[in-house]
Amino acid sequence: MAGATMQVNIVAADRPLWSGTAKSVTIPASEGGMGILPNHEPVLTVIKDGTVAVVDPDGVRHSFDVTDGFISFDSNKLTVAVERGHDVVKTSGPGAADAPETGN
Amino acid sequence: MGSQLALKSRIASTQSLEKIFNAQEMIASSHIARAREVALNAKPYSDAIFDAVQALAEHTHIDHPIVKSDEKNPRVAVLALTSDRGMAGAYTSSIIRETESLLANLTDKGKEPQLYVYGRRGVTYYKYRGRQVAATWEGDSDKPGVDIAESISNTLLDAYMKPADQGGVSELYIVFTEFVNMVVQKVRVLRMLPVEVVPEERQDSGPVPESTAAQATPLYTFEPSLEKVLNAILPKYIQSRIHECLLTSAASETASRQNAMHTATDNARNLVDELTRKLNASRQASITQELTEIIGSADALNKEEE
Repeated sequence: MAGATMQVNIVAADRPLWSGTAKSVTIPASEGGMGILPNHEPVLTVIKDGTVAVVDPDGVRHSFDVTDGFISFDSNKLTVAVERGHDVVKTSGPGAADAPETGN
Repeated sequence: MGSQLALKSRIASTQSLEKIFNAQEMIASSHIARAREVALNAKPYSDAIFDAVQALAEHTHIDHPIVKSDEKNPRVAVLALTSDRGMAGAYTSSIIRETESLLANLTDKGKEPQLYVYGRRGVTYYKYRGRQVAATWEGDSDKPGVDIAESISNTLLDAYMKPADQGGVSELYIVFTEFVNMVVQKVRVLRMLPVEVVPEERQDSGPVPESTAAQATPLYTFEPSLEKVLNAILPKYIQSRIHECLLTSAASETASRQNAMHTATDNARNLVDELTRKLNASRQASITQELTEIIGSADALNKEEE
């Protein structure tokens, strides 16, 4: 496993969506997209409707359509809490052509 | 004996009722597993929100209308969570009893309670008595989703955020049933608004080495601004708390329905036994009577022949 990773938890109001380790996460922060890498400073941010993209240690990308909510990052643990959300494209491989914006 | 027919039909109807109760009991017990699962699935989200609010409380001095009460405004909101369907024993009636005593209590204190009701049984109770109800919600009381929690919390937060002279309320109480376990469900009154955020005293599991003291209180940055974060998170916190109340009430409703149906099945069974005994006794009595009549008339005939 190359590089640092962080713990990611994505939860919707009615069920947990995803949890695991990740290399990077992109979130639709209220003031525009925001990328989060491991060991980010503690932050609490409001997010708006959009897509949360997680890149796991194997370089696989997971995307989730979410409504508004917030994220909190603290002691290398990222929590994304949204009202409603579902996974979009299940995954796309590291070199897949259909991964237009890689999350970093 | 003419009552034999009546007894037979009573036995038949009680038996069919017993089947219904039994089926309802089984339905309820299958729903409990689902209600638990739904509550479990919602837990991570409410935990996340709770942690975030805790973090906010620890690092900042929260100054927001949601945590401050307007003492001068006597209007308060009371939300009663009842069930949509009956056959749940004393579930709805205990909620209504508790709500009534809370209303009386608040009125004694010089407040003007406004009633909000969730669940068809509660709604019909108050409609029938011609009581003023500010807003009602019906449907899905045994599996409350995010939508209904959202609609309830939006309505109540609107009422709370409105200025006093426009009919706003200064407090919100929720009367709901806490799911303790399968046999015990407790009616509780919770003051939801204004929020009491209790900072500190977070007993994390496991000892925290002193070297990580700095880590224990991370300095958060709030984006885009603390105010906006508060404005976004506090209403969500309320909504998630309300959703939690709805979920625990739903689990309690299902459990108390199962208990009620279990008792009803037992009672029906006892009744069938008792009626069967009566039926047998009366059949026996009529046979005995017929026998005595036959013997009596045979005796009479014999005497005539002599």
